[in-house]
Amino acid sequence: MTQDNIPPYDADVIIVGCGPAGMTAAVELVQAGCSVIVLDMQPTPGGQIFRNLEANLRDSSPSGQTLLDALGPAYKAGAELIQRFRTFRGIDYRPQTTVWEVRPDGTVGWLQGINAGYVRGRQVLLAHGAMERPVPFPGWTLPGVMTAGAVQTLLKAGHLKPTGNVVLAGTGPLLLLLANQLHQLGIKPALIGRTDRFADALSGVSHLRPGGLLPLIKGLGWVARLKAAGVKSVTGLKDLAAHGHRKVEAISFTANGRQQTQACDLLIVHDGIVPSIDIPNSAGLRLQWDEANASWRPDTTFDGQTASSLPPELYAGRCVIRVTGDARRIGGADAAMAHGRLAAQSILADLGRGTGPCSKAVRSVRKSLSVRPFLDAVFPPGLSRALPENDTIVCRCEELTAGNLREKIRSGFRNMDALRGETRCGMGPCQGRSCMVTAARLLQEHTHATACPPTFRGRPPIRPIPLGAIANLSGLDPRATIRLTLEDKPEHGVEETVDVPAE
Amino acid sequence: MNDIKTHVSPPETSAPDTAEQSFSADTGFKLFAALGPVPDAITLFLDDQPIIARQGDTVAVCILRTGVPYNRLNPVSGAPRLPYCMIGHCFECLVEIDGIANQQACLTVVRDGMKIRRQLGAPLALKHPEV
Repeated sequence: MTQDNIPPYDADVIIVGCGPAGMTAAVELVQAGCSVIVLDMQPTPGGQIFRNLEANLRDSSPSGQTLLDALGPAYKAGAELIQRFRTFRGIDYRPQTTVWEVRPDGTVGWLQGINAGYVRGRQVLLAHGAMERPVPFPGWTLPGVMTAGAVQTLLKAGHLKPTGNVVLAGTGPLLLLLANQLHQLGIKPALIGRTDRFADALSGVSHLRPGGLLPLIKGLGWVARLKAAGVKSVTGLKDLAAHGHRKVEAISFTANGRQQTQACDLLIVHDGIVPSIDIPNSAGLRLQWDEANASWRPDTTFDGQTASSLPPELYAGRCVIRVTGDARRIGGADAAMAHGRLAAQSILADLGRGTGPCSKAVRSVRKSLSVRPFLDAVFPPGLSRALPENDTIVCRCEELTAGNLREKIRSGFRNMDALRGETRCGMGPCQGRSCMVTAARLLQEHTHATACPPTFRGRPPIRPIPLGAIANLSGLDPRATIRLTLEDKPEHGVEETVDVPAE
Repeated sequence: MNDIKTHVSPPETSAPDTAEQSFSADTGFKLFAALGPVPDAITLFLDDQPIIARQGDTVAVCILRTGVPYNRLNPVSGAPRLPYCMIGHCFECLVEIDGIANQQACLTVVRDGMKIRRQLGAPLALKHPEV
């Protein structure tokens, strides 16, 4: 079979994710004459930040207006971008589509309903966003514990508001923003328990740049409004635990040096957001460890170009994957839009249709990310800072505790995949999304290794696919894609049997 | 609770059978309340009971709107679970939708007449003491 017979690409660029970064890049690329496919899990464009914005703007009911007012101008700010995105008919937008595989050569596996297949792009742009940092604490699997992002999603896309005793615990701008939004909707939280302390705020001041002044003023405004409303608040919260029979009934915590309890129906937790690495990890992209944020992120150049960690004998070609938005660096919507534009300009250069990022795009990325060191210092990871006690569940799917994992690590399971194979940690339906970082830190606690902690080896499909969909895969042409077998994965051969203790 | 056939039984044979399993508006468990009236509501079925939904809702939203105490029992311990992250990461919202198990309720948009079943089968089959 000669090169001439290889079927054509499905698109110049395949974009994964339709939030601020993905939409901005799609518009930029289509305007320059590229063909673009956008794959997104959600039913409508906007990502998590502008979730359900179009429908909410159309909703003229009194409750709809109240909701829009509570969500504030930062939410409505996405309207223009979504409208622009919708205007360009050239964008092949595929909502409600999950991505279960990405390969460094530009092959992307998709699932929509019960249909699945592959599409190939000359370039792939991952704009799949972030996730909330996993926070294992006693009782975090009880019904009635949810993340701040989840509650915001219920507001935006479900028009549901919390009832009963609502407690917010954790740290970060989103926690304070949500508390304010709830207050505007007439919900007075019983308690806001912040893990950050005044000392963190002081240490943040040295990182303050002009670009950080506006967020700072905004944040202080949120705190002041909650205080004025008489919402009980503590800082320096530690030792959070949720208690109850088959649902949350109360929480306990330590603050100001004493243990306290609080009746609670809904415990909203938030410990900051981190790049979602499920796709980069399974694509075999090189990751790096972000110490300040205690999280992995893809190893990228400034314009988002990734590097494959596959050995050259397997894939010697160029890695055509870029990462943008919060999936690359947590920066929020403005930073995501700025970087989406920059990444698109770099892609255009790669495709021979442009001269690379303009200086304005570069400046705008730098400026929008300049506030991060300040926010990182003021809101350090809190709920997840100390590793969990032995009886705390780490792996929610398989209900494995920190003690289960520590015991196996002590007995000799010293690499992530051996630990996973032995315990099933990371083998449940979430495939390690909730437990991987804690498992890696537990390993590190034992080995005292200081390098980038290893991940579970990610293997496609990274999301469940019906067997029938696999049987009917479309678009798979062996001539046009690299083929990887289980043995072809990175680190093969590195996994020494000495890591697995003899029975 | 003894409905071991949740995954396989035809709809008419498996009605909720304990106080905890029922989910009328007044169970006292409601974590969430609607911001306003639900316009142009469509009807779905959760374990055969009719529930309302807005066009464009995800299944997870509808489940939480009902006040049902859990959407699945963890297959390891039988512990009850409700949606946790709402954005497709945690997989706690797994339910059976129109006969296909392990669907992420937070990513699935409702359709009129959709039949949703909570996933209670595995722990019951394994006879967990909790159940």
